[in-house]
Amino acid sequence: MNLSVTQSVFPVGPANRLLVFRDMAIIAASFLVMAIFLPMYWLTDFAIFCILVLSFDLLYGYMGHLSFGHMLYFGAGGYAASLTLLHLAPNPFLAIAVGVVSGALLAAIVGFVVVRTEGAAFALVNLAFNQIGFWLVLSGLQDYTHGEDGLPSTVEAIGFLDFYDTPVAFGFMLICLILVFWLLKSLVSSPFGIMIKSIKENEDRVKFLGYNTLRYKWLTFVIAGTVAAFAGVLYALVKGFVAPGDVSPLENTRIIFSVLIGGAGNLYGAIVGAVAFELITNLLATTIARWEMILGLMLLGLVFWFRKGITGYTYELFLKMGRRAPAAD
Amino acid sequence: MIDTLLYGVTIGAILYIFSIGLSITFGTMQIVNFAHGMVYSLGVYLFITFLPWVAGIFPLAMALAVAAMLPIAYLVERFIIRRLYGESLDYAIIATYAVLLIGADVIKYIWGTEPQPVSDPIGIPLVIFGVVIQLYRVVVFLSAIVLFIGLKIFFTRNVIGKVVIAALEDRDGVRALGLDVNKYFSIAFIIGSGLAVLGGVLYSPITTSEPYMGFHILLLAFAVVIVGGMGNLTGTFFSAFALGMVIAITGRLYSSAADTMVFVVMALVLLKDPIFNFFRKLVGKPAIS
Repeated sequence: MNLSVTQSVFPVGPANRLLVFRDMAIIAASFLVMAIFLPMYWLTDFAIFCILVLSFDLLYGYMGHLSFGHMLYFGAGGYAASLTLLHLAPNPFLAIAVGVVSGALLAAIVGFVVVRTEGAAFALVNLAFNQIGFWLVLSGLQDYTHGEDGLPSTVEAIGFLDFYDTPVAFGFMLICLILVFWLLKSLVSSPFGIMIKSIKENEDRVKFLGYNTLRYKWLTFVIAGTVAAFAGVLYALVKGFVAPGDVSPLENTRIIFSVLIGGAGNLYGAIVGAVAFELITNLLATTIARWEMILGLMLLGLVFWFRKGITGYTYELFLKMGRRAPAAD
Repeated sequence: MIDTLLYGVTIGAILYIFSIGLSITFGTMQIVNFAHGMVYSLGVYLFITFLPWVAGIFPLAMALAVAAMLPIAYLVERFIIRRLYGESLDYAIIATYAVLLIGADVIKYIWGTEPQPVSDPIGIPLVIFGVVIQLYRVVVFLSAIVLFIGLKIFFTRNVIGKVVIAALEDRDGVRALGLDVNKYFSIAFIIGSGLAVLGGVLYSPITTSEPYMGFHILLLAFAVVIVGGMGNLTGTFFSAFALGMVIAITGRLYSSAADTMVFVVMALVLLKDPIFNFFRKLVGKPAIS
């Protein structure tokens, strides 16, 4: 399997706990360094997008299930949070709780259907569900979501935690990103993580060993959906606005592109890819008119010539230089 | 009632014509071909461009559009699909999706984002049981039937068709006979692409054309292929008409839910085994897996 290139480069095994903390420090430090050169509100978006891509990487990179419907959970989280802020209370923590729980519930219900499908059908059924969600937001539940107009919301400041204060918002998102990274890192280095990697490598053998793979696939799907919903909630809190575009199935390309450019199947790849993609869009999209064309051509290039992604090739470079590369994965 | 039924069979006919190519690539190469949507929408835009050049003669412009798209379909097959054959499914999905994106952008670049209407080429209303229906829709339906019978003959009587059908069953078996499977797949792919353009052109007077039309019909067609069984051409025919009916009937009751209902049906089809097993357990029989 070509997909498992990074998998074999990064050995499977329980990670050293100290190494995880070192990596968390590296992520925090690199974001803080970027904050010197880039506008801070960009980095807030970067961190949120990183969380979304991390959740997708769990599903695609680790379990090998390509989904074309991941934006559904992002949007579900965002809309649930906005509706909570509007109708219940403008409390950010309540919004986070409601958004994450509704994302998890949605993923649990949809996951029950989709994990029964394989390969191409999995990608397409997810796409179909995303399309249903997009339609619901756009016209089906128009009374609640305001259709094309989008849903504005405001969140009150709790103590010093004011989401409209850019440095505070950035700090909060960075902490969330690091926590999500820690959570997923612990997950993929646990026996559960080894199980989902085995499902990617050869599901039939895992079944043959007596495991109910459906259950593991469902759980992974729910976790990925929940984390994506969390990213959606954060997005809604910072922007104070959600629109049908945030649920659009077309947006999934961004996530897939990021995972591929960074290197699928390891969490660093997801973060590097997300930052790289956001940098490309923010720096180039304003100057280049034919953005979809460029994106399409770059996707083709990635598929044909750059499959291991940035982290995969960097790691190979390390190996060639004869050094002991940092133990990733 | 009659116009709803007629709308259903019209949509079903279009979906069938479009889905044949998808079903073939699905069945033979196990590749999900998003580029099919690119061929479809680019073909329709070429058709709209050709229409004034040939003094508005509908069939002539249609033939020109199909002819113009065949080389493009060949290039996609030769340089994208064939390179990805035998590789991981995901790369094929992503690469063909990239082709679809590029196609949509080319259309936006050349023709702009404005929806393009096409007028009904026949424009003769028929009155049946007091209901006015467009003759054009009957023609679309009949052409799908003719196509179905034609393809049936092609796949059972013609050598190329027979090889493709055999390869749908057992690709390695056909290779073992010394046949160059890739060549036949190329031909089948190009036929499928030509039919996609045909379906798009036939659909254009009923709807309006816009750069992202390929995405929309692809989703519906994937549902058709999944419901009908991947690579099962007869199944594709019946599921296309069944889902066309679903769209028409839902559309009459609650217009904006029409497309969504298709995906609900697809989910039910995918879930048929667990549901079936649930009822078997209820009557005390062991589950079938």
